[in-house]
Amino acid sequence: MANEKITHIVDGALEKINGATTVDELVEIKNTYLGKKSELSSMTSLIGTLPNEEKKAFGAAIHEAKEKITNEVENKLAIFKEKELNEKLQKESIDISLPGRDYHVGSRNPFHVIIDEVTDIFIGMGFEVANGPEVEKDLYNFELLNLPKNHPARDMQDTFYIDENTLLRTHTSPVQARTMEAKKGAPIRIICPGKTYRRDDDDATHSHQFAQVEGLVIDKGINIGHLKATLELFAKKMFGEKREIRLRSSFFPFTEPSVEVDITCANCGGKGCNICKGTGYIEILGAGMVHPNVLKMNGYDPDVYSGFAFGVGIERVAMLRYGIDDVRKFYQNDVRFIHQFSKK
Amino acid sequence: MLVSLKNIAQYVSLDGLTAEDIANKLTFAGIEVEEVYPLAQGTNLIIGEIVECVAHPDSDHLHVLKVNLGNKYGVEQIVCGAPNARTGLKVIVAMPGAKLPGGEIKKGVIRGVESNGMCCSLLELGIESKYLTEYQTSGIEELPADAVVGDEDVFGYLGFDDTVLNLNVLANRPDLLSIFNVAKEVAALFSREIKLPKANKYNDFKTNIKVGSETTRCTQFSSREVKNIVTKPSPKWMSSYLMAMGVRSINNIVDIGNYVMLMTGQPLHMYDADKLAKAELIARDDYDGEFVALDEKSYKIIPGDIVITCNKVPMCLGGIMGSLACAVDENTKNIYIESASFDGTSIRHTSNRLGLGSESSSRFVKGTNHFQADFVLDYTTDLLKELCDAKECSDIVTYQSEKKEEKVISSSLDRINGRLGTEFTMDQVKDVLTRVYFDVKVNADNSFTAKVPDHRLDVTCDADLSEEVIRILGFNNVKSILPNLDMQVGALTLEQQRLRNIRYYLLDKGLDECLTYSLVSKKEKDAFNLLNNEEHYVILNPLTDEREVFRTHILHSLLKAASYNIAHQNKDLMLFETSNMNTKSSVSEHLAIVLVGNDYAQGRMSPLLFDFYSMKGLVEGIFQTLGIENSRYKFERAKNNLDKLHPGKSADIIFQNQVIGTFGELHPNKYAEYDLGKTSAVVLEMNLESLLAAKVSVTKMAPFSKFPSVTRDLALVVDKTVEVRDLIKTIKVEGKGIVVDAYVFDVYEGVHIAEGKKSVAISIVYQKSDSTLKDADVNEAENKIKFALNKAYKAEIRM
Repeated sequence: MANEKITHIVDGALEKINGATTVDELVEIKNTYLGKKSELSSMTSLIGTLPNEEKKAFGAAIHEAKEKITNEVENKLAIFKEKELNEKLQKESIDISLPGRDYHVGSRNPFHVIIDEVTDIFIGMGFEVANGPEVEKDLYNFELLNLPKNHPARDMQDTFYIDENTLLRTHTSPVQARTMEAKKGAPIRIICPGKTYRRDDDDATHSHQFAQVEGLVIDKGINIGHLKATLELFAKKMFGEKREIRLRSSFFPFTEPSVEVDITCANCGGKGCNICKGTGYIEILGAGMVHPNVLKMNGYDPDVYSGFAFGVGIERVAMLRYGIDDVRKFYQNDVRFIHQFSKK
Repeated sequence: MLVSLKNIAQYVSLDGLTAEDIANKLTFAGIEVEEVYPLAQGTNLIIGEIVECVAHPDSDHLHVLKVNLGNKYGVEQIVCGAPNARTGLKVIVAMPGAKLPGGEIKKGVIRGVESNGMCCSLLELGIESKYLTEYQTSGIEELPADAVVGDEDVFGYLGFDDTVLNLNVLANRPDLLSIFNVAKEVAALFSREIKLPKANKYNDFKTNIKVGSETTRCTQFSSREVKNIVTKPSPKWMSSYLMAMGVRSINNIVDIGNYVMLMTGQPLHMYDADKLAKAELIARDDYDGEFVALDEKSYKIIPGDIVITCNKVPMCLGGIMGSLACAVDENTKNIYIESASFDGTSIRHTSNRLGLGSESSSRFVKGTNHFQADFVLDYTTDLLKELCDAKECSDIVTYQSEKKEEKVISSSLDRINGRLGTEFTMDQVKDVLTRVYFDVKVNADNSFTAKVPDHRLDVTCDADLSEEVIRILGFNNVKSILPNLDMQVGALTLEQQRLRNIRYYLLDKGLDECLTYSLVSKKEKDAFNLLNNEEHYVILNPLTDEREVFRTHILHSLLKAASYNIAHQNKDLMLFETSNMNTKSSVSEHLAIVLVGNDYAQGRMSPLLFDFYSMKGLVEGIFQTLGIENSRYKFERAKNNLDKLHPGKSADIIFQNQVIGTFGELHPNKYAEYDLGKTSAVVLEMNLESLLAAKVSVTKMAPFSKFPSVTRDLALVVDKTVEVRDLIKTIKVEGKGIVVDAYVFDVYEGVHIAEGKKSVAISIVYQKSDSTLKDADVNEAENKIKFALNKAYKAEIRM
């Protein structure tokens, strides 16, 4: 009888909870069914009137009813709160297409990208980096490199002079002579990146200022095979694993034998195209075995030591890699140009 | 150096070889072939004879021709505009379908008259106008009367059925400025036999010409006298050949001189014997005076220039140009031929100074064979006999001060392979060297000697021999092996690494790295020089006055880069450059920064104009990147350059008691100078040397308090001139042991604050290292601080 009543109350409560549409309604329902003056509360006082053996069961039934209603109310409240929150979040929604805060990184001129990269490749092979002055003595730029005064090959490098014995270095090779002088006969493994100058009128392919990375290895038993392997590794790192190199005989006063180094054209892979003028190859650097006279003049016995040297044109490498059509673009510093090279 | 393959084929068989084969082989052997091209171009050509020439009815300059093309093609009608078209003339006809450099020839109707082909000039067959006479370029080519009508091998008839290689002769191989030597090289590369012309000996009479030299700059002078020659135009083969080689045909004597030079590499000079005051040709270098050359211009000769004199009067500027006084002309009967050796350096100085350069002078500058004069003179004489009807040819008289020394180089197979990284056999090495005309003697232990041929001026040591071997056998024989060297740390030096760290810090902060020229104009040399008072290097031989001085500061160049960008509508710039400054007293690495317009660090929608503090933050960041604590440097109000920078918004950077950099907002007067418009620009120039070299201590971890801290704010009003850093310094001094940090978070001037005053709000962080703070501790410290601030700066405490 009493239990039936409890069931009836609970059913009524659940029906109302189910029909509630606002938090306020739920609070009212809660007060109605669970408050001090509620039917269930007043039924609690009946416990005392019951026989002892029924007391426990009746108490438990009321407790269970209250708990059930409480749970239902709480569940329903949670649903309302979640809904409310969701509506709030919905309203807070933003335009995610607006730009992020500006933590952009700057870009290097491609000139610096290449210098840094070449430097890192050779550092990885155990090379040190040597520097030298851009305003250089004739002695280091020419004489100690087997280019005595009035050597016709000096015409190959039209020179800016400061005075008879001082000039703007025409290549990074004087750092070779300076390094040999400093190392006093010890083995050498260096690269020297830097700016160089020649008396050329500026146009799309000529620049009175440009940069090279010079490389020099001197040790016992160095031969052209070592040069070839080193440059092969460099070419693959710089231009891609598929690139192959080939050597052509050439002439530089400070190396003997001298070679021009070509790599397979990255555009056509060696089949021949416009960029490589149908040859499948593109010239990238000059190199050779250090001339015995150069070794001798700089304090190394050519019968004991031998070495190789190479020189890479920085702008040329950048132009090939990025398809840059005019060397003057490096020096214009148009940010529309520079920003294209933000990749690290 | 242009080389005709037909010419080479006279001395070495080229059977089975294409022009590309030859070009390729030469290129890999170090003789780069820059171009390969047919001498003339055109198909469907035929020799015809004009049998009728009448004026075009509807034109004042066109002719209507009837041209006989022989039995096969009969007579065709051709409309032609050449003024020299006339009946009886033999001409080159391009028939319909002919492909010429200018396009394809088609049948057509010209002003109502049918035309079935074109009469050609050599220009239309691809011969450059510089090799043609004005008459030749103004009309159609006039063929000699012996041309055969109907002959379809027109190029064969003209000697134009030829391919030309353009060789890039490098400085070590001046011998290749001789066709004979190029032929020798080709023969060697393809292991073929070389057959060079032999010359006859002459001794019809003893000449009385005296030759000699009174200067070490002429070591050899040989001459021969030739009598009773006839000056006339060269035969077609000679003029065609010279044309192909890029030399203009003049007359038989001049042409022979040029031809012999092309063949042998030895420049010649011809003197009109009858114009010399006496039979004497003496080289000297002490002449000082005027000289009227063949070009009828007068040149100033100074001591050091080589001149060939007669009676001490110059008759020739040695190796460069002859005198007008004894020039060969159409009336010349008797000549002296000169074949001499001059010092290249002197020739170079003279020709550079006078602006006179020629094929001849450039050969002397690069180096000639000093020991072939007899052959050269005999070979020349053969041609004079053949082409100039020379009658009597004298003996050869020679002055020679240097002895011919045989160059013999010792080497060994091991040395050759050791240098090359190859495994060639002695037989291979011997074969190659023999092919390139070395005389090789091999010993039992594979050591050997090689006698260098006369024409190879470049070979002096066994490294040169190894080059001969590898250039002929090919670099594909070289095994690619990385050198097996002792371990070595590959790394940047500390200075190099720090420079890179600074660059990468600035890049991370969003600045773009620029590259500008080191050479600037005289006007620009100190245009925005904030730091460097050292003397500039000035170029002796600049190309333009724009690039005349080696710069000692970057900022002007970088501002110009900013200016360029603004002009190209690239606004809001963050630019920097590091570069090496070379002055007469030092070499140093500089950094320059230019910030222009808006800083978008908070996003595009919250722009802030760059200001003094933007740059200051970057400078502090640079020091931090290098691990240099802020106690080691300071900023002081800039003392100089107040015409370039805003006097109130600029500062010097002081490090190790020296001003190492200056920065600040641009002076208002400077904006217009760099066309920066109405925006904000902040600039910096810094000498990085002391930073790159600075000693930095090893980091040691410092303990930090585990007790909670308390932060209290302090707002005070002080005179506007009081610097916040002094207030903070006072707070830290007074709060020693309990104040762990103090920082400004607001500065305010304006409403509610008296004129000349400013309100400063500072947060002070209190903390103890050994116990939890009590209110009383903080209050005590705060009061002490307030008292001190009031005392020192008359600070009025607001809260």
